[in-house]
Amino acid sequence: MRRALQYLALACYVAFLGFPLLWLLGTALKDRGELATGGLVPLSPTFENFGDAVRRADLVTAAGNSLVVALGTTALVLVLALPAAYALARFRTRLKVAANAWVLVSQVFPVILVVLPLFLILRQFRLVDSLVGLTLVHAVYALPFALWMLQGYISAIPRDVEEAGVVDGAGRVRVLVSIVAPLLAPGLVATAMFTMISSWNEFFFALVLIQDPAKVTLPLTLARFVGAEGQVQLGALAAGALLATVPSLLFFAAIQRRLVSGLLSGAVKG
Amino acid sequence: MLRRLGLTAAAVLLAGCATAPVGPDVDDGAGPITLRFQSLAFQEPSVAATERIVTAWNAEHPDVQVQLTQGTWDAVHDQLVTQFQGGTAPDVIHDESADIAGFARQGYLADLGPHLSGETRSGVPQGVWDAVTVDGKVVAAPTLLQSYVVFANTTVLEQAGVTIPTSPTWTWDELADAARRTTSPERAGLGWGLRQPTATVMSLGLGFGGRFFTGSGDTAAVQVGDAELEVPRRIHEMAYTDRSLDPTSLTQSGSDVITGFLAGRYAMVVAGSYVAQQLAEAAPPGFAWRVLPALAGTSPNQAANPQTLSVPADSPHVEQAAEFIEFVMRPDNVAALAQGEWLIPASQPARDAVEAATGGQNGWEPTLDGAQYLTTAPFQAVADYPQWKDQIATPALQRYLGNQSDLPTLQRELTEGWAQVAGG
Repeated sequence: MRRALQYLALACYVAFLGFPLLWLLGTALKDRGELATGGLVPLSPTFENFGDAVRRADLVTAAGNSLVVALGTTALVLVLALPAAYALARFRTRLKVAANAWVLVSQVFPVILVVLPLFLILRQFRLVDSLVGLTLVHAVYALPFALWMLQGYISAIPRDVEEAGVVDGAGRVRVLVSIVAPLLAPGLVATAMFTMISSWNEFFFALVLIQDPAKVTLPLTLARFVGAEGQVQLGALAAGALLATVPSLLFFAAIQRRLVSGLLSGAVKG
Repeated sequence: MLRRLGLTAAAVLLAGCATAPVGPDVDDGAGPITLRFQSLAFQEPSVAATERIVTAWNAEHPDVQVQLTQGTWDAVHDQLVTQFQGGTAPDVIHDESADIAGFARQGYLADLGPHLSGETRSGVPQGVWDAVTVDGKVVAAPTLLQSYVVFANTTVLEQAGVTIPTSPTWTWDELADAARRTTSPERAGLGWGLRQPTATVMSLGLGFGGRFFTGSGDTAAVQVGDAELEVPRRIHEMAYTDRSLDPTSLTQSGSDVITGFLAGRYAMVVAGSYVAQQLAEAAPPGFAWRVLPALAGTSPNQAANPQTLSVPADSPHVEQAAEFIEFVMRPDNVAALAQGEWLIPASQPARDAVEAATGGQNGWEPTLDGAQYLTTAPFQAVADYPQWKDQIATPALQRYLGNQSDLPTLQRELTEGWAQVAGG
């Protein structure tokens, strides 16, 4: 009986979490009449909204651009954050306190405050309207939180393991690459997930920086379905949003196993 | 090892900086001029019409090619703030007059006056030109207008014994009376999506002589008296005294309330005229609706807040961009855009073209008739209006319409909030 209640609670929780996706699916499958008057479940499902979304907005190109930017951001953030987080976690200097304070403070700046200086700097380097520029901005924005996350993971790795490496003759870089990085796999995967998703969903920087229609990202494309005074083309927007979540879901599915196995291996080693 | 790596990285960065091209984009003078046109067209037919206009221009003007980009209404202000500062705003900017006034005062927009033809100027009423004239300069060409209209479920009105009005205007008292008579336990007489109430209150307030501001630019002062408070007071009264206006609808968007209207939850709704498109496409069989005559207080006036086309003052191709705007302003082009967005053309010839094309059906006739009452409003000439609207007026009105504050509090918040925004 108790087990059944646990399963019931779990099912309710999963339904709660999955509701937005189900609502999106239901809405995407409704025809215009049902969108205006219907309930949650489409009575006569249609794929016309998917056709509308794809026809009106070049979702494939936009998704490709988003993917390039998100992967580039993730790679850049991991490459920069790993040694920096290691230094912050392992070295006790006054700089560490200042750096940590700066990481926290940087998170409270509203986007609109930082976008203008960033925009002017990027313009100087002709990186406005370029996916490389957008990748750099996303990386700058994601880096502090990634540093914060990785620092915690690194602090949890016993120093003894590194000291054993040093005794065997490994230098700092070797220790970082060959000993810390493998043990840090779950943390790196979690950080990569966070970075990737935040870049994939980012709207405002892309709106300001990207002007060439061939370089727009997915959130910009989806914004086409929202008009003045809160008008929304709900069916096309839901269909487009649903298609936009597919790469994220695939990424999660691919990476989740790695995250779980990493966590388990860490548990065994601990 | 780390030191070596650091030095290498620094050298690579410096080399990158040294070789990166620095400075603003410059036209090398070779090949055709390219103008970037950021459109905010939203409905599929108007997006298609915009593309057709651009294609036609490009075919006729091989030396001046227009590249169409798509923007979004939600974020256009913040986007332009940044792009004006950085000197990379599109050559042709689509926006609305209330939003561009601030940019114009900061000198970001070119004067289109010398570039627009007499034909284009004479087609648009002076009141609408006033809405896009800042410090004597015509900073935009007005294209489309929106008015607030009452949509009625005529079956419900007839069943409740309310005569469907045929007069040119309809008073707020008549609206309140019809709302009371059509209210039943299952249905509210009126639904009104006022999640973002400021624009509606400011626009309809003109009908009671509510000006909200005196002066213009940086010297404007707020003025919130009985005339300015009349529209929110009447809405509040219908919602909480008469109970003929569904209070929950006040927290919803216009689109959400239309869903309820089509489901029979409201006898009438007040919404932007463009909602007719949604009704025409989505109304179930047998659902009878119509647009009622223009809503009038002491007058049927509403604010003309036209959609606009502007050119940045620092665009290297102001003249060519203005020529493109002149091309867009041709009556057949504006009529096509208007039909696509279900909005009112700013120019009379384009309005005539829409009337001829639609036969006045699906609410077009009263909507187009209502255009004569659209006039310039004082708030459009106030530099800090967008900030006051978002930070002060919208939350204050939301609290009042949500029955969380009273009328004196609303008056105080609107007045004192202006001092906070304008630094007075």
